[in-house]
Amino acid sequence: MKRQDLVELALRNVRNSRLRNTLTTLGIAVGVASLVAMLSLGIGLQQFANSRLKSSGLFETIFVTSRQDWRNADRDEDKKDPKFEEAPALDDNARRAIGKIGNVVEVQPEIRAMAEIEFNGKPYASFIAGLPPSARDAEGFDKLQGNFFSAAEVDEVLVQQEFAKRLDPDPKNLIGKELTLRFARRETQMGENGGPGSLSITREQRTFRIVGVLEEEPFGGMRIISRARAFIPTATAEKMNLMQFSDTQQLVRAAPGTRVYSMLTVRTASSAKAEQVQNTIKQMGFGTYSFLDATKNMRRFFTVLDLFLGIFGSLALAVASLAIVNTLVMAVLERRREIGIMKALGASDIDVKKIFFAEAAAMGVVGGVLGVVLGWLIGRAINLGTNIYLARNNMPAETLWSVPVWLVLGAVGFSVLVSIAAGIYPAARAAKLDPVQALRYE
Amino acid sequence: MHMESVLSGHSAVELRSVIREYQMGSSRVRAVNDVSLSIERGECVALLGPSGSGKSTLLNLMAGLDRPTSGSIVVNGRDLAAMNSEELARYRRHAVGMIFQSFNLVPSMTLVENVELPMRFAEVDRSERRERCRELLARVGLAGRAAHRPSELSGGEQQRGAIARALVNRPTLLLADEPTGNLDSRTGHEIMELLRELNQTLGVTIVMVTHEQPIADQYTQRAFHMADGRLIHVVEGVQQ
Repeated sequence: MKRQDLVELALRNVRNSRLRNTLTTLGIAVGVASLVAMLSLGIGLQQFANSRLKSSGLFETIFVTSRQDWRNADRDEDKKDPKFEEAPALDDNARRAIGKIGNVVEVQPEIRAMAEIEFNGKPYASFIAGLPPSARDAEGFDKLQGNFFSAAEVDEVLVQQEFAKRLDPDPKNLIGKELTLRFARRETQMGENGGPGSLSITREQRTFRIVGVLEEEPFGGMRIISRARAFIPTATAEKMNLMQFSDTQQLVRAAPGTRVYSMLTVRTASSAKAEQVQNTIKQMGFGTYSFLDATKNMRRFFTVLDLFLGIFGSLALAVASLAIVNTLVMAVLERRREIGIMKALGASDIDVKKIFFAEAAAMGVVGGVLGVVLGWLIGRAINLGTNIYLARNNMPAETLWSVPVWLVLGAVGFSVLVSIAAGIYPAARAAKLDPVQALRYE
Repeated sequence: MHMESVLSGHSAVELRSVIREYQMGSSRVRAVNDVSLSIERGECVALLGPSGSGKSTLLNLMAGLDRPTSGSIVVNGRDLAAMNSEELARYRRHAVGMIFQSFNLVPSMTLVENVELPMRFAEVDRSERRERCRELLARVGLAGRAAHRPSELSGGEQQRGAIARALVNRPTLLLADEPTGNLDSRTGHEIMELLRELNQTLGVTIVMVTHEQPIADQYTQRAFHMADGRLIHVVEGVQQ
């Protein structure tokens, strides 16, 4: 039998017991809807978590410290190699060496210092921090009002929004205006054997032009060290010789040496390369920290979560599949005579089987499509509810639910597959029907 | 045509020592007990006998709806007993047409859809189907009733529709199981006239089960009398 005839016959049959088939199809739709709603929530949560971390730029970033100063984040590694006193210093040599590792895009010192900001004649005590040029592309600057720094080294400043509101109720007005930074500048006098002999600290002030207002903190606020109210280009900050915590450390250090950094931020070409770069830096004897391990755990968590949501979602579909079995078994009983007639007219067992499979598949397709729509609506409703709750708590709206194309196609496909599987028994029963008995007069 | 097939030695249907046994509880019942017969091409014959004589079972065996316990049923040179179920389905589709006492039109389909149904199984082209439906419905006098459902047709009309459906795949053998059993006598004769005309014009071989002796006498060339599953005797009819 040709496919077109098969479909026509199956659809006729589905139409002929409209109420029963509609109810069964609705059952499938509810099953698919619960599956879609559950999975879209799982996927949405994962995407939400991923996007938060990705926009923070933490995936491509490795934080390098000297193991003289900071122990490894991983305590087990400290136990393996406890002689951290002998670890190399994080100085300019180390900075150059790390910069030469393959797939390293940039090595920047973390600079953060106490400063006083003067605006409109009023002083504000604040931390200021350096931001490298690459921050603009990779670190979630979508919500930047105004512009990023016009050059790598320039007297321009970005202010954080909460602080900006204190300077002017409408932060937009700030862009283009100037503020004065008062900061501690350190000068190092070299000692006898090359080490620093003494530090002198002087107060300086410098005028910066406000170019932009940051709605969100850089790095999603996850890098404590770069938390500040005002940001200036890292290169500018370096030249300013801002007095930092590590300067004291350097002064008291017995060993001679050049300038050391408290922390270097290494940006890699992509998150995929970060692990390899991290291992290389570890082998050089430095302490490293990246978010890769945290992500691994997160991915595992979401896989398990999706699996559980999928299983719970599928339960309703499993129940619906029993309804299909029931509907089709009833149809076989009711249409005994018709099946007998069809066989007498030349339908093969396979033709009869195919007709019942096609009926099951038709219910699966319609139920699947309806279910996806229903599941989408349920997901939207949950999202809307969440956002109303978030809004009440003065939090920004989020998308916690996502229905990707593969889920739509997969759900309809799965629905058809389950329906056809449910059709196996009734179809086999119909095909096995003895035409002589089916046609016997009552 | 009749003479030709006799001379060439090819029968339309050839039954050799056909036995069909059923298991009824603990005992075995022989519905057809060692029947051998031969029907020529283009012949119109009757299977006569009281109910339970095995005539319907014999017809179902010839239709390929049932299989003999032993013996062979050769139609168009092929033994049905040796065919698998797929081959039997193909045989039913192309080589035989069946009509029944209770017409057995599919109630949810219109008349033309019923007539079209065997051509769906035979994968006949759609344009060809429309043509054949129109032709056959006209031939059985139902051209104006194509869109009606069986419930809107009289018994005679339903049986005419069933005949059209049986012939739509151009079979060489038409098997009729008590075709006039549910019809009044006048309509029964009309149906028999139609069958005779089709037998003569199309050359289709007709095997008809009936328990009405007069029908057999009037319309068939030979009558096979059956009782208790056995073929008792063969009567040459008056009909030529």
